[in-house]
This record gives sequence, structure tokens and C-alpha cells, in this order.
Amino acid sequence: MTTFQLGKQARRILFGLLVLVFVLIILLPIYYIFLTAFVAGPRLFTSPLTYFPTNISFERFVNVLDSLPIWRYLFNTVFLAVTSAVIALVICLLAAYAIVRVNFPGANLVLIGLLASSMLPPFTTVIPLFQMYQTLKLMNTLQGLLILYVSAMLPVTTWVLVSFIRQIPAEIEDAARVDGAEFWRMLWYITLPLLRPGMVTMGLINFIVGWNEFFIPLIFARGIESKVITMALSEAQSVGSSSQFYQNWGNMSAVAILATVPVFLLTLFFQRQITDGISSGAIK
Amino acid sequence: MSSITTTTPTKQPIARSRGLSLRTKQILLAYALVAPVVIWRLFTTIYPFIATLLLSFQDNSPIRRKAEYIGLENYEQLFQDLRVRESLGFTLTFTVISVTLQILLGLGIAELLNRRFRGRNIVRAINLLPWAMPAIVIGTAGTWIFNTDYGLVNDIIWRLTGNRPLWLVEAFTAQLAVVLIDVWKNTAFVAIIFLGGLQGISGELYEAAKIDGANGMQRYRFITVPLMLPLILSMTIFISIFRVLTFEVIYALTAGGPGSATSVLSYAVYLEGFRVLNFGYASSIAMLLFVIVLVMGIVGFVFLRRAVERL
Repeated sequence: MTTFQLGKQARRILFGLLVLVFVLIILLPIYYIFLTAFVAGPRLFTSPLTYFPTNISFERFVNVLDSLPIWRYLFNTVFLAVTSAVIALVICLLAAYAIVRVNFPGANLVLIGLLASSMLPPFTTVIPLFQMYQTLKLMNTLQGLLILYVSAMLPVTTWVLVSFIRQIPAEIEDAARVDGAEFWRMLWYITLPLLRPGMVTMGLINFIVGWNEFFIPLIFARGIESKVITMALSEAQSVGSSSQFYQNWGNMSAVAILATVPVFLLTLFFQRQITDGISSGAIK
Repeated sequence: MSSITTTTPTKQPIARSRGLSLRTKQILLAYALVAPVVIWRLFTTIYPFIATLLLSFQDNSPIRRKAEYIGLENYEQLFQDLRVRESLGFTLTFTVISVTLQILLGLGIAELLNRRFRGRNIVRAINLLPWAMPAIVIGTAGTWIFNTDYGLVNDIIWRLTGNRPLWLVEAFTAQLAVVLIDVWKNTAFVAIIFLGGLQGISGELYEAAKIDGANGMQRYRFITVPLMLPLILSMTIFISIFRVLTFEVIYALTAGGPGSATSVLSYAVYLEGFRVLNFGYASSIAMLLFVIVLVMGIVGFVFLRRAVERL
């Protein structure tokens, strides 16, 4: 009996240790980025490293905020992420609803076409888009970026919403139809309330995807009007009087934190919804 | 499948108004609702993709002010280009190694996150952090995380072994660094999907097996693995395609170096297209990338179907 108990105890400790190692592997690099941003002067860069610093300063944040248009970049980032997530949600909801509830000829073709088109990576479309954007004067504009942000979200969003709508039993709508509800009323009063959790999740995921977009702005955003926060990373390198590496790394870390904290807060706050959203999209 | 595409008349009474049946009106409305998504994708992916295909047969460069048809010359150059060959090689090795690690670790982490323990929700949230973070941020931070003298990784290795390997300077270690960052960043996503799969397995199966005297390993081997296999296989294809398209980490961490040891095809398209401004040649590299994605998609799909059916 005691050996069994001991075995159980040992297993629990082992499991706890495993969880600890896992958490450390994830958190250490993140903690290290924070350290690089907050520790005053070259104090972090000792060999061996100082993990528990005594001097904290906001000097790097002041540096980058003073010399780069960070607020404008943040505004652009928020605008693009929010607007693209909302537009994608609305037009994908309409499409998904039509695909599931109206068995129109070609409904499956649309779904498969969307999936196939998502197999065309941005690298195989970016050069003609670049030429097209120059002719259409869409280079370096928020609306130009918005078009591409939304485009990237459409296939997955449609597929996930289709799978959500399919889970709503048709009988609920049939009952409403007997009562004389029309298409739009049915969508608005019957389907949408049932879909709300799924819509919220998909909106969150799309916001994070939009926030993290880098390749599209790298090619199409050339100035302050449309650059996003992640692009300030490399710009932060040349900020400040010193060309010391700790200066560069510190500045870049400050930008990294500004670019990361919003999505971290969302993730921590909506962990459950995001987890459900990711797995439901894949398993269905 | 066919039942969905055929126009079966609905049970509703056909109300005639303005000469159109209710069913026809519904179908027209459905087309109108689908149109934005379809048109949006046509203009932003299908059309530019076809244009890329056409560009790949051209000598096209805005700085040389050239745009002329040259047949297959780009492709001939492509197969002799050492840089492209190296990029192709690393794209494939990187994909195989990173995907293998992510699938194995993802299964382990999913199992971990599926157990009941105090603070599980917090650990699940922590697991998501690398997924939520912009890839370019961790790629950039990687340049000092892997620094020889002051980097986090070498600090830990030094404390354990007394050595300080040169990470980004040598080909093999630079490639390893790229893999490590990719695994760190993306395994969370795989783990979450596997967690969803594990939660879908009925607890009764495990109970029944327990009563029949199966131990933990046996239960894993004969219940978990077979039931998870379709998901594992489809995830393998899915994340493989994503790995082939990796860009940010390479761009920020190594810029393809040292030499072109860590260059991937997507990065080669970027360099050739937007640094050298050689649109024609860059397009032919993009088409090579597309063919790889396509082959992976088709082969994966066909083989998986068969593998799943055999179960």
C-alpha cells in the first residue's frame, strides 16, 4: 500500500515538474524581452546574465516614442486589425449563411474554391498586386492594406462560420419560417443570436491575425500613413545617440512589447474562447 | 455532396411575384450574398496568381524597364541557381524537422493540458502566448536571444555545460536556431488542436478498457492513437504547408544567412522581387513554391484518405 502511495506521490511531483519546465520554456524568452526593454543602461548585459535586475527604467520607451511615430503606427495597426476583422466577419457570415441554408447550385464549388484559393500563398500573388497597387494608387494607403488583410481572412472565416451554422438545427429555423419570418429576420433574430459566441471567437482570432500581419505591410506600406507597429522594430535599431548593441536591443524590445502586449492581454482574457475557436475550426 | 449542389425544390408553396418563384428569388439572393467573398478573392488571389504565372515567362524588371517574353528561360536559370537550390533544400529539411517536432511535442503538450490540475487554465493561457505573438517580434528578439555572449540561450547552456556555441554564425547552428524559434512559436497551435481532439474522445472508452485490464500505455496505444490518427495526419499536411511558407523568422533572425544556409523559397521570392526588382525571375521562384504547396496538398490529401480508410 505504501509503495503505491509513494508511486502516486512521485508521479505527481514528476508531473508538476513537467508543467514547470513547459511554462518556463515559454515564459523565459518573453521575460527576457521584457528585461531587455526595462533594465537601465547596459546592466542586463552581463555575462552571466542578471535575471533579477535592480534598476528599472522607462528610458527606452521614451526614446522610441520620441523619435518614431509610434502612436501613428499603433493607430494604423488597430484600425487595420479591427476594420478587417469586422468586414471579414460580416461578408463571411452572409456568404456562409447563404451556402448552408440556401442549397443554391455551386454552393460546394464556392467552398472548395475558397479552400483552393487559400493554397495560393501571398508569395505567388504579391508581385502583380504590387504592380496593380502602383497603377491604382493604392500603395501606402490604409484602404489598400485593408483589402489584402480582409482577403487573407476570408477562406478560414467562411469555413468556420459554415461549420458553426451547420451545427444549428434547421428545425429551429423551420419553426420560425412557419411563423412567417423572412430570410433577413431569420438571420438577424434566430441565427445570429445562436452564432454570437462563434462570431466573437472568430472576430478575436481575426483581430490577432490582422494585428500580427507583417509581410503585407512590408511590401505595401512605405510611409507613416500606413506603416504598422511591427515595422518599427527595425526602425528602433537606429534610434538614440549610441550605436551600442544594448541600446539597439533595448529600443527594439520596447517596440516588441508595444507590439505584443495588446495581443497578450486579449489572449489571457479570452483564453477559453480562442482555444475553442482554434480547435472547432480544425476538427469540423 | 451532390444533393447539396442540385436544385431540389423546397417544400414551400411557390409564391409567384414579379414572375419569379420564391426558390429562384432565394437562389438569386444567395448568389448576391456569396458574391462579395468570391469577387474579393478573385481580385486579390486568383487574378494576381495568373499574372504571376505569366510574369514567370518574362524578363520583367521595373528598374531595367524591361518586359519581354522569354519562354522558359527563367525556369532554366532556376534549376541552375545554387541559391535557389539551397533555399529549396533548406525549405524541405526545415519543414520535415520542424513538423515532426511540432507534432510530437504538440501531442505531449495536449496530453499535459488535458489532465486535471490546479492552475490548468493559466497554463493553457500561457501555452497560447507564443501563438498570439507576432512572428516578426520573436524572430527579431531571436537575434539577441541567440547572441553568443549575452543571449538567453547561451547563458543557460553555459550554466549547464560551460560552453557558448556560436549560433547564428555557422550554418548548422543557424538552421537549428530557426527550427527552435519556429517550434517555440507554433507548437501551441498544434497542441490546442490536439487538445480539442483528445476532449472529443469519450471517457467511457477509457473506463471500459480499464475494466478489461489495459494499462496506461495500452490505453494510449489502442484508444488514443487510432482515434487521433486522422487528426494527426491532417494536421501534418496543414502545418507542413505553413512551414513551407515561413517568412518572418528567416527575414528577421538570419536574413537567409550565413551564406544562404537558412534561405527559404519565400525569402528568395522576396529578395529577387523586392530587393533586386527582378519580377520575372522572382515569379518563377514563386511558381516553384506553389508547385511544392500543391503537391503537398494533393499527395497529402490522397494518401491521408487512404490511410484513414484503412483504419
